Amino acid sequence: MKKQTIGSLKQLRKKENRMGYLFASPWLIGIIVLGAFPILASFYISFTSYDMSSAPQWVGLKNYIILFTNDDVFWKSLWNTIYHVVIAIPLGLIVGIILALLLNNKIKGMSIYRTLFYLPCVVSIVAMSLLWMWLFQPQFGIINEVLSPIYNLFNMEPILWLQSSSTSKITLILMGLWTAGGSMVIYLAQMQDIPTSLYESAEVDGANWIQKTFRITLPLMTPSIFFNFIMGIIGGFQVFTIAYIMTNGGPAQSTYYYAYYMFDKMMSDQAMGMASAMAWILLVIVLIVTMFALRLNNKVVYLGEEG
Amino acid sequence: MKKVLLMLLVIVASITLFSCGDKESERTEITFWHMSPVGDVSYSSVKQLITDFNDSQELYFVKGVGFSFWDYWDKINVAVASSTAPSIGLSTIDDVVSRAESGVIYNISDLMAADTSGVNTLDLSEFRQSQMDFATYEDDLYAMPFSATTRALFYNLDMFEEMGLTEADVPTTWSELQTIAKMFDVQEEDGTITRIGFDPTYGDTTYHGWLWQAGLDFFDEDLNPTLNTPEHLEVLNWILDFNEDFTRTQLTAFGEANAMLGVNPFTSERVAMIVSNDGLYQTINTSGADINYGVAAIPVPDEDGIHVCWGSGFSLEMYDNGDNTDAEVAGAYEFYKYLLSESVQLKLGESLGWLMSHISAMETYVEGDPILETLLGEVDYAMDKVYVPYAPAWHASDWQTYYTQIMDGDLTPEAGLLAARNHYLQKQENYNTLNE
Amino acid sequence: MEQTIKKPRFTKRQRTRIKHGILHIVLLLCSVGFMFPFLWMLFTALKTPQELLLGFEQFFPADPQWGNFKEAVTMIPFLLYLKNSLIIVILVVTGTLFSATTTAYAFAKLRWKGKEKWFIIMLATLMIPIQVILIPTYVMYSYIGWLSTRLPLIVPAFFGGGAAFYIFLLRQFFMGVPKELSESAVIDGASHIQIFFKIMLPLSKPALMTVGLFTFMATWNDYFGPLIFLSNPDHWTLAIGLRAFQTRFGGRYDLMMAASILVMLPTLVIFFFAQKSFIEGITFTGIKG
Repeated sequence: MKKQTIGSLKQLRKKENRMGYLFASPWLIGIIVLGAFPILASFYISFTSYDMSSAPQWVGLKNYIILFTNDDVFWKSLWNTIYHVVIAIPLGLIVGIILALLLNNKIKGMSIYRTLFYLPCVVSIVAMSLLWMWLFQPQFGIINEVLSPIYNLFNMEPILWLQSSSTSKITLILMGLWTAGGSMVIYLAQMQDIPTSLYESAEVDGANWIQKTFRITLPLMTPSIFFNFIMGIIGGFQVFTIAYIMTNGGPAQSTYYYAYYMFDKMMSDQAMGMASAMAWILLVIVLIVTMFALRLNNKVVYLGEEG
Repeated sequence: MKKVLLMLLVIVASITLFSCGDKESERTEITFWHMSPVGDVSYSSVKQLITDFNDSQELYFVKGVGFSFWDYWDKINVAVASSTAPSIGLSTIDDVVSRAESGVIYNISDLMAADTSGVNTLDLSEFRQSQMDFATYEDDLYAMPFSATTRALFYNLDMFEEMGLTEADVPTTWSELQTIAKMFDVQEEDGTITRIGFDPTYGDTTYHGWLWQAGLDFFDEDLNPTLNTPEHLEVLNWILDFNEDFTRTQLTAFGEANAMLGVNPFTSERVAMIVSNDGLYQTINTSGADINYGVAAIPVPDEDGIHVCWGSGFSLEMYDNGDNTDAEVAGAYEFYKYLLSESVQLKLGESLGWLMSHISAMETYVEGDPILETLLGEVDYAMDKVYVPYAPAWHASDWQTYYTQIMDGDLTPEAGLLAARNHYLQKQENYNTLNE
Repeated sequence: MEQTIKKPRFTKRQRTRIKHGILHIVLLLCSVGFMFPFLWMLFTALKTPQELLLGFEQFFPADPQWGNFKEAVTMIPFLLYLKNSLIIVILVVTGTLFSATTTAYAFAKLRWKGKEKWFIIMLATLMIPIQVILIPTYVMYSYIGWLSTRLPLIVPAFFGGGAAFYIFLLRQFFMGVPKELSESAVIDGASHIQIFFKIMLPLSKPALMTVGLFTFMATWNDYFGPLIFLSNPDHWTLAIGLRAFQTRFGGRYDLMMAASILVMLPTLVIFFFAQKSFIEGITFTGIKG
């Protein structure tokens, strides 16, 4: 290839444009064929009554109207999901940040602790679900065994964890904290980028550990907190597998999450139109929450020198 | 540029290589989906039956695919929906009509009429009319019953003897059942149950099963939910109060312990009596449990009670994907007849441990075994649940929610039944809105 | 703490030591909390069912039942599932690395029409629940006859399916590579393909490692995809096999734990060997945009 001169800048641009498309082509092809088509099709199906065996029948907005006005299970599953998201995500953020703060000290064995805390994140969700079903098992599980002195002390009935509708949602959330190491490493990565000079000058001013944490560390960590928050929201609204394996949505639909109801609409009622409508409502909810978070982000998040 | 193109080419080539290259022969391939997956005890015998058929054929070649019972339903539903269904497969007999209506299964009556070969013709007199009624749509058969299930009371004679009871004491009414069951209950000091006589929620019991015996049901003839009458409540309370000496937590713990030990409560003599489907016979045999037991009809509420139980069965269906060739249909029908012939039904019964639908084959199969004879006799009293288009899973996910809440004491029986009825009404209304 | 405020009784060095001592105790306690489930899993897998009913009374397995592992393996066609998992994982990792690196390069280093729009679309795909596209995708694959094959799980990886997050990570990383490096290469007459292969990829080894490991974990552990798309049981993966194990032998926690350990063992081993680049890869790629 020959050396390019400034005169052929236009040509260079044109070539770069071509190269851009070429490099992006695998993904571009994928997004159009494997992304756009199914999305459009599912949007269409959401306006039909489609039982998978006969052709879709156009019903207009009826699926959406029924879901919003005459479907108690829809609201129940939405409530269950919001409950999960609202508690699990802040709790996960806090535990992840605390772990990261503990590890963000120059102490021996830091990388070992880090590995240990991260380890649960590599366990498959099926294996994790089976494990925690066993740990939470009310009569023979280890958690109630450990707590039995406390039960005896206060003369109370053992907690039934997954087997009671009043504790099942919280139990699944507590289980989720086991994987807080996943967000921890992201916080830790950002914490270690904070210039030590900031802390040093704060120390000169007589700042203690708490002041340094709240005035320096946390504000500078906002981008990664925001990132984990968004990822948590998106994943949280899709929570399905843990309930499918551990509780079957029960007891009494207390862990019957939105995605689970959608799955049943598909699989047991074979109401594809209704299920697609639910998928689209979910998408809109996630988009709205994310947009709010973005607004918040612009106000709160520290953007650093690069912006 | 060239490198990238080359890479793409290699990828495309390897993908195409992956997707082809497993055509077995030039014969027309027929696919058959069954429930004996790789690793299952019945896998090899089902495979053998398919091989036998293939060896006798020059035109057709059957390829069998086995899924576990648990995975089968999702697979077949989605496959039917996406027109990738197998040529032949099993399904549930109670909702054949819905598939017949939407045209995804072949009209078996038509195929029978067109079959002039005269060999191995289907002998309809060998199948129960009650089962074939479920497979009939607009006077034509759209499926054939493949197997039959029933439910019965299994009782442990060794344990009966211990209490000084004999076969004559086997309960026939609900009150007798309760009196005798109480004799077997054993509870430790800390509340742990180690043995019970009977529980109306254990085994293969269902609320609708008990309702039927009292002449009640979830729905009326027009499929409107009728669930909260005083009679319905009475049956529910009987279930709830049967073991009122124990707390629900203790009963649950008892069930969990059974599962953890990996034992069937009946074969491990932790319950004296249990309502189970005919599969328990097979379970007892394979567990090697050395117990002396008998089988009887499930006790009824009182002298006026109805001798009935929930029994179903699989239907054998030929799927129409819209692009099946004539050769495929003809071949599938040959295999269809083969699967429903007396000798194959007998072999299937022996290897699967199911009661098959072919009457003569099953009479041969059960001969000389009093347990199996009784079970086969109970098939005649088996009734299948009604298909409700607006709530196909009415007995499962829909009802279970309210049932567990009532059992756990989160809802009173009255409130639970009312809530369940309202749930069905809402589903019905929504279904009508969508299909008006 | 009180003493330190009044009068420094300890030197600065001593204070750090005390602080670190307390930290170590707290961290050790946390570690026990995080590791105990694994330990209990192993103990459970080695117990008899009767021992399980005893709970704490029988903390250690009295007579380790190594046979439980053998039993768990023979109850499902474990080796077949293992082979299937490996085939899918290897191809998906390859495909994802290919499509994610090229696309990320286009987004990070090249100027082309509509780049910004496509980038937003890519980030938006992160938010689309899989359920939205599930039904039509299934119908599409059935239409082209892929349902009896593994292709629905493999091919999308070569076209950036499910890779939006990795593309984003790699783009961040590529953007961090100094402009001067590629600009001087351009002046020297190198093409973008050369820059990509000779400069970008070699410089991005840690990031590539991270993306590869993430993809490995996600694919190995994936449950939903194989459940829906693998209609042929001869293609089933370990995650599906484990669930099948639960539905069939539910309650037998000794065997379920043994099977679970076997399923997660490869990920644990790989993680231990690669944990440095795994965790530090996250540090490199960072979420600092």
